[in-house]
Amino acid sequence: MAKDIEISNSESKFILEALKLKQRLDGRACDQFRDVEIELGEAYGDVTVTMGKTKVQCRISCEVAQPYEDRPFEGLFHITTETTPMAGAQFENGNNTGEEEVLISRMIEKAVRRSGALDVEGLCIIAGSKCWSLRADVHFLDCDGGLIDASCIAVMTALLHFKKPDVTVLGEKVTVHPVDEREPVSLGVLHVPVCVTFSFFNPDDTEENIKGEHNGEISIIDASLKEELLRDGVLTVTLNKNREVVQVSKAGGLPMDALSLIDCCHKAYGIVEKITDQIQRAIKQDSIARNQYAHILSSENARES
Amino acid sequence: METSMRVLSHVDGSAVVSNNGTKVICSVSGPMEPKSRQELPTQLALEIIVKPAEGVQSTREKLMEDQIRSVLTPVLARYLHPRQFVQICFQVLEAGESKDYTVKEVSVGINAAVLALVDAGVPLLSMCTGTCIGITSEERRLIVNPTEPELLECASVHVFCLELGTDENEKIDVRNVLLVDSLGTFDESQLFQVLETGEKECIRLYTELRSVIKDKVSRDFVWKQ
Amino acid sequence: MSKLLLPGDVITAEEFRAQQISAGPGIYCDPVSQEIKATHAGLEIVTQTKKGTSVYVDYNSKRYVPAVGDFVIGLIVGSFGDSYRVQLSNFSNPVTLSFMAFPNASKKNRPTLQSGDLCYARVCSAYKELEAEIECMDSTKGQDAGFGHLEDGMTIEVSLAYARELLFNESYPLLNILGNLVEFEVAIGVNGIVWIKTNDVRTTLACYKSILACQDISPTQFEKTVKLIFNNTLKSADEQ
Repeated sequence: MAKDIEISNSESKFILEALKLKQRLDGRACDQFRDVEIELGEAYGDVTVTMGKTKVQCRISCEVAQPYEDRPFEGLFHITTETTPMAGAQFENGNNTGEEEVLISRMIEKAVRRSGALDVEGLCIIAGSKCWSLRADVHFLDCDGGLIDASCIAVMTALLHFKKPDVTVLGEKVTVHPVDEREPVSLGVLHVPVCVTFSFFNPDDTEENIKGEHNGEISIIDASLKEELLRDGVLTVTLNKNREVVQVSKAGGLPMDALSLIDCCHKAYGIVEKITDQIQRAIKQDSIARNQYAHILSSENARES
Repeated sequence: METSMRVLSHVDGSAVVSNNGTKVICSVSGPMEPKSRQELPTQLALEIIVKPAEGVQSTREKLMEDQIRSVLTPVLARYLHPRQFVQICFQVLEAGESKDYTVKEVSVGINAAVLALVDAGVPLLSMCTGTCIGITSEERRLIVNPTEPELLECASVHVFCLELGTDENEKIDVRNVLLVDSLGTFDESQLFQVLETGEKECIRLYTELRSVIKDKVSRDFVWKQ
Repeated sequence: MSKLLLPGDVITAEEFRAQQISAGPGIYCDPVSQEIKATHAGLEIVTQTKKGTSVYVDYNSKRYVPAVGDFVIGLIVGSFGDSYRVQLSNFSNPVTLSFMAFPNASKKNRPTLQSGDLCYARVCSAYKELEAEIECMDSTKGQDAGFGHLEDGMTIEVSLAYARELLFNESYPLLNILGNLVEFEVAIGVNGIVWIKTNDVRTTLACYKSILACQDISPTQFEKTVKLIFNNTLKSADEQ
């Protein structure tokens, strides 16, 4: 395990004192998510997400493979998240067994893959013998907290952006048409889950959370790296625009009551709605930019849509 | 070639370089405390990590790591920081070539590494630049920095890397050849052609990097203007 | 602006050939060819001293490499025998701070620093092969010299060139501008750490933001930027 970042007593004390006054070092309000910047690359399925100083790139690729025997109608979908010291020297190369690394990959796996965000049946080419194997490679370029939230946005945007080559099936014979020969097809994305992470602090005493009465607990959204290092508890909720809660993850830390959990979900919904719209907007703009000559080249008559 | 320096905040130095469809980001941290197995008693230890754009690390990336290591090791002033270590990470953002080739990623990666090392303030004895050159199979024409379709027409491709500096009369001084790696079939006269063209290209890149670094230094000392 | 040097550039100045020169940071003398080269990218600074000419490269970076005489802010990460282990920047080799390197220290009178505390100190030994050492007193006189524990307050991580400018350039306007607005204590370490303390969290926060923001802008804009930050920070804190 690589060494940890050390924080001095003065600094941790000051950050907590400032949080008591509802002030954060980067000037954000406690319930303010960082501005998300989505950059789409030249290739389909190449997305870079920047949130403050956090930077994550996701890249989707696909190849033809054989489906699992017990699931002949489904394609394969893998998400790999590997940390490198590029994000910060606290990460070690090739070591994905650290608590934080495991947590990040598990959370993204749960939020995107197991929530059925991608229609894996749409990846099937010939039942039982051929299907698309899709992989999402998440690269952490810079880590200033909120890796889970940023990665989730990156993976979902990349899935929406990606197009797989068109195929023709004639009996058992499959022809894959190269992208420059025939227009590639989008993936079936069923819903867009977005993660929002809350961090909790109790500067006075953790016991107070249980007793209620004088609860000095502070909750903030989208913690930065330093805030992440100091927090006493963490909660990640994943929601989609249809107001469905995809997952709630709260692994230890400060105890919290049900009411404040519901309150958090409400707060998160506002953020999810905004981010989903932003993702859709980015995808739309990209497709308009790519198709700027389509109306000249097309021989079809314009149709009302 | 498009470049930008200091793009990442949690490492000591970083740079992105993109050239003809290949884009690589490089980060440098150090000199810092090594793990005991990495420590070298008299000189700076190097850890070089190359991550592909798609998929996981394989022997292809290990080959690139070794090539980049052989280029950077003689350039670093290693004996100034004994028992310490520098971590250099490369993340290929756009490969711009199929898995059968490594030439474009290596040459772009080397240029990115030099900028990142300068940004991090790791002592260097010289600068180095790298380029890739292809020779077409039909017309036997040399292509500097081929694009992906051009690469497929080449009978052989070469990575060429030079150690460069400026002498006391402020003339560019070519100090050494650091890497010549060739793939494909070619003859002796073609290789000499490659070396000749490669030298010109490396010198051109050197002047380009110089002006990039000049901009960076003037931004660093914003209060001195 | 002075001349730009890049790694591998051979130093040219005519006068160097005749007399002895002393090489500062960023300058390397090749043991075989006796060529004098730059190893970092920055500005060439040549000064005439009594002993001769000295030359160094003024360059900006983030990672600190200890050099004798530097004022640094260190973080105590543990104690080992009769010395503390102190970290000057994240992931760097730790340095030693002996229990004896405090004013009025004796075998019985131990300093009371705890792990996680910050201290202001001076680098007293830095050989590249060995662990560097720092001290919290003026060792020539054995007296207190304003070093020691930094209590509370807040630290700001800045680039090394900016920290040097803040510490050594007396005409650099930032601290004066802050001083007109608020009363504060400050310690600047050339390892890129600035410690600042005021008697109120809100004003400390405003100072923190101001010092960070002024890192990338020209001094002519300082006054405007600092005022804006102070107004915003204090106002938003009042609203809460």
